[in-house]
Amino acid sequence: MTRCLLVLVIILAGLVIASLALGDVALSRQDLWETLTGSHDRTSRNAMIVFDLRLPRVLLAALVGAALATAGTITLAIMRNPLAEPGVLGINSGAAVAVMAVIVLLQDPPALLPPVAGFAGAAAMAAAVFLLSWRGGTSSLRIILTGIGLGSLAGAATTFLSAFGDIGDVQRAMIWLAGSVYDASLAKVRFLFLWLVIPLALAWMASRELDLIRFGDDTAKSFGQPVDRTRGLMIVLCTLISGAAVAAAGLIGFVGLVAPHVAGRLVGPSHARILPVAALCGAILVVAADLLGRLVIAPVQIPAGIVTGLIGAPFFASLLWKRRHARG
Amino acid sequence: MIRPYGMNTARRMANDGGRPLGLLLLFCLLVAAVLWSLASGARHIPLATVWHAVVGFDGSREHLLVMLIRLPRVLAAVLAGSALAVSGVIMQVVTNNPLASPGLLGINAGAAFAVVLVMTLFGTGTGDVYMWYAFGGAGAAALLVHGMGSFGPSGHSTIGLVIAGAIVATFLTALTSAILIFDQNTLDAVRLWTAGSVTGRTMAQNAAVAPYILTGLAAGLFLGRHLVTLSLGAEAARSLGQNQAVWRSVSIAVVILLAGSAVSLAGPIGFVGLVVPHIVRLTIGADYRWVLPFSAVGGALLVVVADLAGRMIFGSQDFPVGVTTALIGAPFFLWLARSRAGGGS
Amino acid sequence: MPVDESNRSAKIAGRGVSIAYGSRRIVEDLDLVVPERRFTALVGPNGSGKSTILRTFAGLMRATGGSILLDGRSIATLGAREMARRVGVLLQGPVAPEGLTVRDLVQQGRYPHRSLFGRWSEADQAACEEAMMLTGTTTLADTPLDTLSGGQRQRAWIAMTLAQQSEVLLLDEPTTFLDLAHQIELMNLITVLVRDHRKTVVAVLHDLNQAARYAEHVVLLKDGRIAAAGHPSDVISQDTIADVFGVRSMVIRDPVAGTPLCVPL
Repeated sequence: MTRCLLVLVIILAGLVIASLALGDVALSRQDLWETLTGSHDRTSRNAMIVFDLRLPRVLLAALVGAALATAGTITLAIMRNPLAEPGVLGINSGAAVAVMAVIVLLQDPPALLPPVAGFAGAAAMAAAVFLLSWRGGTSSLRIILTGIGLGSLAGAATTFLSAFGDIGDVQRAMIWLAGSVYDASLAKVRFLFLWLVIPLALAWMASRELDLIRFGDDTAKSFGQPVDRTRGLMIVLCTLISGAAVAAAGLIGFVGLVAPHVAGRLVGPSHARILPVAALCGAILVVAADLLGRLVIAPVQIPAGIVTGLIGAPFFASLLWKRRHARG
Repeated sequence: MIRPYGMNTARRMANDGGRPLGLLLLFCLLVAAVLWSLASGARHIPLATVWHAVVGFDGSREHLLVMLIRLPRVLAAVLAGSALAVSGVIMQVVTNNPLASPGLLGINAGAAFAVVLVMTLFGTGTGDVYMWYAFGGAGAAALLVHGMGSFGPSGHSTIGLVIAGAIVATFLTALTSAILIFDQNTLDAVRLWTAGSVTGRTMAQNAAVAPYILTGLAAGLFLGRHLVTLSLGAEAARSLGQNQAVWRSVSIAVVILLAGSAVSLAGPIGFVGLVVPHIVRLTIGADYRWVLPFSAVGGALLVVVADLAGRMIFGSQDFPVGVTTALIGAPFFLWLARSRAGGGS
Repeated sequence: MPVDESNRSAKIAGRGVSIAYGSRRIVEDLDLVVPERRFTALVGPNGSGKSTILRTFAGLMRATGGSILLDGRSIATLGAREMARRVGVLLQGPVAPEGLTVRDLVQQGRYPHRSLFGRWSEADQAACEEAMMLTGTTTLADTPLDTLSGGQRQRAWIAMTLAQQSEVLLLDEPTTFLDLAHQIELMNLITVLVRDHRKTVVAVLHDLNQAARYAEHVVLLKDGRIAAAGHPSDVISQDTIADVFGVRSMVIRDPVAGTPLCVPL
């Protein structure tokens, strides 16, 4: 466990340094060191590139990745379905329809509106899924089915808007939704960090609850767990975490689905260990995706959300397959 | 995961023996919807004229309208709807996962990617040629998923298929978005297609996929008994002497045939394959020998009605049927899920 | 030697209990007494409501009528954790998340004893060690559950329930999946738990002769009603077996234990 954490932290640190150094203007190791330690003038060009452009971006990517992975882990545990990710709770479809509506209907909304709309859409959708599936208690099957139903309604609205909206607006909304960390700023990073720190800590402290709820409602109840209340609280946490990530960076798919599976295979089934490892995996994935998206066909930048799909998918496919081989 | 809500309702229905009657009723509804769809539109055509156009085509304006515009359109809706619904049922049984749909095999993502790629490389053209690219893309993606799912070390495990499907679909969707984000022309040309539409389909297009869909439907209905066994889970199926690997492969071949054809005909409509099987199971129970025919007729009915509603309510000939199926089907499905699924005190 | 059960106080008592799934009534107006520090077996044909009654006594299902008393206090007034500290349940065919080891599983049994942020204590550790020792799973502690045989897995689940350290154990068909040797071992374990560890055990059993041999109190169920209840030698007779199972049989004396032995004709 400690070794696994250490390796992941080193990988993440390496990626962060690479993200700070590489780009249109590549910094040498010495330049980067001097800039970071402040021996250069803070107003120099290098300082501006590192502190104003690259640092916020890489921090945002890491935070978003950790958040998505944590939310994915929670969803996987409370839904007990290998396909479950926060999208099952309607978070993605709610955010998508809200952002698409704001961009297509308002033509040129203020910059702050899409993220706020994204969060509001995600939260409203998750609340609607939970409330509609509540009938004197919850059941993961009913939540999944309700999520499918409401999700397809929201999806239909998104499709409608994208089929008939102004093509320029539609494309802009698609880029926003594709998931990217283009417009990072330290203020945004600080806000997201403060927003996430409590829910993430709570999720980690509740890892024992997640361990037990994975056994199924009956077994969990027989050990005295208030299953409905636990599931409700976990959905609230999940919404706070992944809704904020979506608001900050759009829909970066796949991280929430795959990070918990990978973490589970690395460190076993206990959530006290899965959660931090999954968060690190998620951070690594998004930081790497953003770095690659910036570099491969520079100066054109590919949104991180697309890179996670393009590179993350095959990579994790091979990883999962190999791991399973190893297990026999 | 699929079974829990089926059993009680199954008992309820089996007791009153209402299934054959229900199926007949549903079929009559489908016929009525088809006729209504043929008769109504910008210009109302009496049913007698519709009938004459079919049996004694005389080349008049009205007969042309029926035979060249409306009949192909409604046929496409029937074919796509039934094919998607039946393939959805099969997918949910094979993966034993209520979140599964033909899309999980990468069918929609593969078709969309192939169409978008061709449009970007060779420019946009008429809908006719894309059919085959869509079909090819869907088939290739599905075979890839099936291959990854079976050649994983755990063999034909359900979870392997599910994860392989998620990975392939994610990858292809990412490729598609990458193209669309940078290519506005293709986005403009393809966005109606991706919404799912039966507008402007021709008799030739229907004729091209009909053999595949009809073969797939026949095979799907024949599969019913084996699906019942598959749905009992790996151990029970083995103890009953079912060769799971074989039947799972056959099932997936049928899904590729059905959903691939449907997507090439009507675009990637996700809702029908995902939700119609649930609606049917919640209504009549989990006996797949009945779920399959009910889904075939119900899926067709949903898409025909959705297309009709798009034309009547929104007054637009090319309102995407993918949107209206969800608008009509989702509220009903939500009500069913709430009132019947998953117990609860 | 029949024991007069009326002297013993009731550990769990159902009073006028009715249970229904939706509109389907399973049990109506049932009075069932579980004597303290005894091994009680629930026996009956399939669909007689055995498992449903066990689940209701465990608080997993709510009775639609009547009340269930644990030491004279209605279980409806007990909190979930309190209930779990006092009553442990092992359901049929439980499913564990992938990749769990036996030790991981058994440690889950300590859940009701730990506060939200409470740390793993020595008492927790001792309870797990004892549970694994009693079930003979100590050597399997670090083995993944998915690689165990059916019998080993069942013993691991029983260890998890034992780690809960509840006074009452409710077991739903605990001998399923076990071979003969392990069935006997489990029955002996239950005997030890009742005799030396002062537990009250209720088990749904499908083997009538097993119940007769090991249980001290047998409840025969039919269609959600109690057909007969009491000491095995009072309860198991040709008439009750014909009534409950619809099987003609002869009841003889077990040549080893002296308990009634049912031989179908």
